Amino acid sequence: MAGRAPRDGQGPRWEVFKQDASDKPHQAVGSVHAADPEHALLMARSVHARRPAAVSLWVAPADAVFAVTEEELHATAPWTVEEGGSSRRFLVFRKTSHRRAMTFVDHVGVVDAPGPRAAVAAAVDAFPEPPALTWWVVPADDVVASPEDEADAWFAPARDKTYKQQSAYGLLAPGKHKRAGGSS
Amino acid sequence: MSQRAPAPDDRQRLEAFEARIARGEKIEPGDWMPEAYRRQLVRMIGQHAHSEVVGMLPEGFWITRAPSLRRKLILIAKVQDEAGHGQYLYHAAETLGASRDELLDALLAGRAKYSSVFNYPTLSWADVGMIGWLVDGAAIRNQLMLAQCSYGPYSRAMVRICAEETFHHKQGKEMVLTYARGSARQRAMTQDALDRWWWPSLMMLGPHDGDSPNTPQLARWGIKTKTNDQVRQEFVDEHAPELMEAGLALPDPELAFDASSGHWLHGPIDWDEFWSVVKGHGPLNAERLAARRKAHEDGAWVREAMAAHSARTQGAP
Repeated sequence: MAGRAPRDGQGPRWEVFKQDASDKPHQAVGSVHAADPEHALLMARSVHARRPAAVSLWVAPADAVFAVTEEELHATAPWTVEEGGSSRRFLVFRKTSHRRAMTFVDHVGVVDAPGPRAAVAAAVDAFPEPPALTWWVVPADDVVASPEDEADAWFAPARDKTYKQQSAYGLLAPGKHKRAGGSS
Repeated sequence: MSQRAPAPDDRQRLEAFEARIARGEKIEPGDWMPEAYRRQLVRMIGQHAHSEVVGMLPEGFWITRAPSLRRKLILIAKVQDEAGHGQYLYHAAETLGASRDELLDALLAGRAKYSSVFNYPTLSWADVGMIGWLVDGAAIRNQLMLAQCSYGPYSRAMVRICAEETFHHKQGKEMVLTYARGSARQRAMTQDALDRWWWPSLMMLGPHDGDSPNTPQLARWGIKTKTNDQVRQEFVDEHAPELMEAGLALPDPELAFDASSGHWLHGPIDWDEFWSVVKGHGPLNAERLAARRKAHEDGAWVREAMAAHSARTQGAP
């Protein structure tokens, strides 16, 4: 019914994490809009894995991500954390360099904490080096992964589409095969 | 803009912000930034995203008319990339607090700008090759510059887009070079495409520096690291000699290599035409918007079905 349609016709936003090889971390590549986790994973594949290499995707609702920059961490003194309550598992991501890059924060590990602010404090202790410029913590329960046993069906087709690679076109030098009588 | 002097707090923050940019640091979502920096970025990134989306239309027309399966696969992949690039860029704008719905509303209502070049028609198959070589070539030049930009999410989107668009550029160049040494009809078709796309490709790099009032501020904040005219010169230096080597004639009698500067100097650009297209009076402005609106309206039932499915499986909000 039109009256019940949410104001945001695009659906909620999901952060996308892509893993390029099994020995590499999942990395934040951007976000997609989707109605549910399954839809978000399909959108993530279309938008972020059109080319090799990807072996796994994670999606998480954008509002489940707690993000803190170095500036925010130091501007708020002291950094207060949630205390007590039961501990939850958080996935920890960080960015450590100002170099030009295709991806944002990388997955570094997990911490258990009663809330996201405590999770950031725990992450600063657990992963001190190199110093992070941005931290993301995401409750593990909110992260949905592409199915591991279907990884080939999800990602192998991109490998065969070599015509999407600029290397498939070689070095294109206009002068090499000039037609007879062409102006020089 | 307000003439009010900034509060001492803001002045300190502004100095710290500009010092960060001078050190080559990236500004990330959550960091303090001047409101004008945020506003300029939302404007630029929004226009850029719309350009990717509208940019699917001129070439999409030719998908069903491609002369071979290989060319068709390539063209589908290219148009699909443009859709993806629009998504990367809308994401970057959203990190600044813009909403996707507002951005799309502005495009569909005709309030938002997009690249002037997509308001020209694609009249022959050779146009697909010429767009790849020239329009994507110009876009890559601009985007390599923007990949240096101080705002992290925009810079990252540009790095990814440039990597993918190198394929667009090369497939176009390969197509043009093939037809330029093909049959007489193929050569004529290719020359005609060049005649129509050369000037719009120069224009798409934006107004002359003297008419680009935002540039000094954008340069100070590391958003633009080169001016429109500098990027345009890079584009001409790269493409003019190669097009001539391919046996094609550039539609600019004044174009000549200037040994003292080492640059190819082009004749005057028809800025009246440029501003007319920007203001909505190009050959296909109305058609492009109408096609975009129709696609949006035709997709409404899909969005409604997804929302209904989600409400049923996840519980209504």
